[in-house]
Amino acid sequence: MKKHIEYILLVILFLNLGFSQSKVTIQDKEIMLNENEAVVEVLGMVCSMCAFGIGEGFSNTDFIDKSKFNEGVMVDIDAQYVQLAINESANINPANIVKVIEEAGYDVSTLFILQNKKLTKFSTDKLGILQPMAYNQSRSKNN
Amino acid sequence: MFRFLLVCIILLNSISAHPVIFKNGKVFWISQSTKFNDLRLGVSKTNKWLVGGRILQDRRSDETFALLNNNYLAKRWNSKNAQANIYILSSVGINTKNSESMGTVGVHGDWENRQLMVMQMFEYFSHNSSWMSGSRLAYSPYTVDYTKMSTWLIAEYQVEYKNDNLSYMLIPVVRVFKNNYLFEIGSNGEDSFLSFMIHF
Repeated sequence: MKKHIEYILLVILFLNLGFSQSKVTIQDKEIMLNENEAVVEVLGMVCSMCAFGIGEGFSNTDFIDKSKFNEGVMVDIDAQYVQLAINESANINPANIVKVIEEAGYDVSTLFILQNKKLTKFSTDKLGILQPMAYNQSRSKNN
Repeated sequence: MFRFLLVCIILLNSISAHPVIFKNGKVFWISQSTKFNDLRLGVSKTNKWLVGGRILQDRRSDETFALLNNNYLAKRWNSKNAQANIYILSSVGINTKNSESMGTVGVHGDWENRQLMVMQMFEYFSHNSSWMSGSRLAYSPYTVDYTKMSTWLIAEYQVEYKNDNLSYMLIPVVRVFKNNYLFEIGSNGEDSFLSFMIHF
């Protein structure tokens, strides 16, 4: 009986782990997104000082988990994205992420947020307003 | 001649990097040439407006100029892997020895991606009714992650119009930067300079 319970708990744990990751694509680069993370495709981010400015902007917010990445922020200039670790307790508003990027002087093209095991995609429309979009998400138990 | 060198050094420093940075970001910048010491500190009040102060010292005459800078980002185009900007620049200041005033107004435009950069700037100087044009064409032979050192090879071309005369100067410049630090060295055999800048 005890072994059965252990087995069931292991299966539940495995399923939970599996669904806490998603794969998203930005500029043909596949990025693995974990629970409580966001990925932002940033337009105009072409130099290290651009990346530094964005990092500084996020360091002054209260929704970033600074224990992950580099103070909670990872920047890939080549693929033009910023990956963010979000505090578990923070119910993130995508507008707050966009505000930080814009105050650094750049624009958001696409934003993915994985929180509460739900992956949401936002894209900027023709009026420059961020809108939630349907996304054919790829989730993996192994990745 | 002194004023020519003064406007040269002002232009040279004005075109070295983005005139406005991220909101609440600060810029500290020091530059030294055989003729000048130059120190500046600026604060971007918003992502479109930077104000700053500057101390410029002529090492030969031991004259010092105090200037206030006001840089405004009029328009930025952000696109995938590139950005372009138009800035309006102005400054006012005095010679601390005789309180003689001076002012400048200019426009700066640039386009850059990860490996190429072109820049053009015009600036007018009130104290002698002169104008200058500065152009930069830059190439980075490799791209790296922002935590590693990036190198740019720059050809800088300056034209000055003063007293119905045009004068020209070409300076090769090497720029390296990593994270929030930038270093530049330029020399054409006659004129040379070193600059160091930090954003914080």
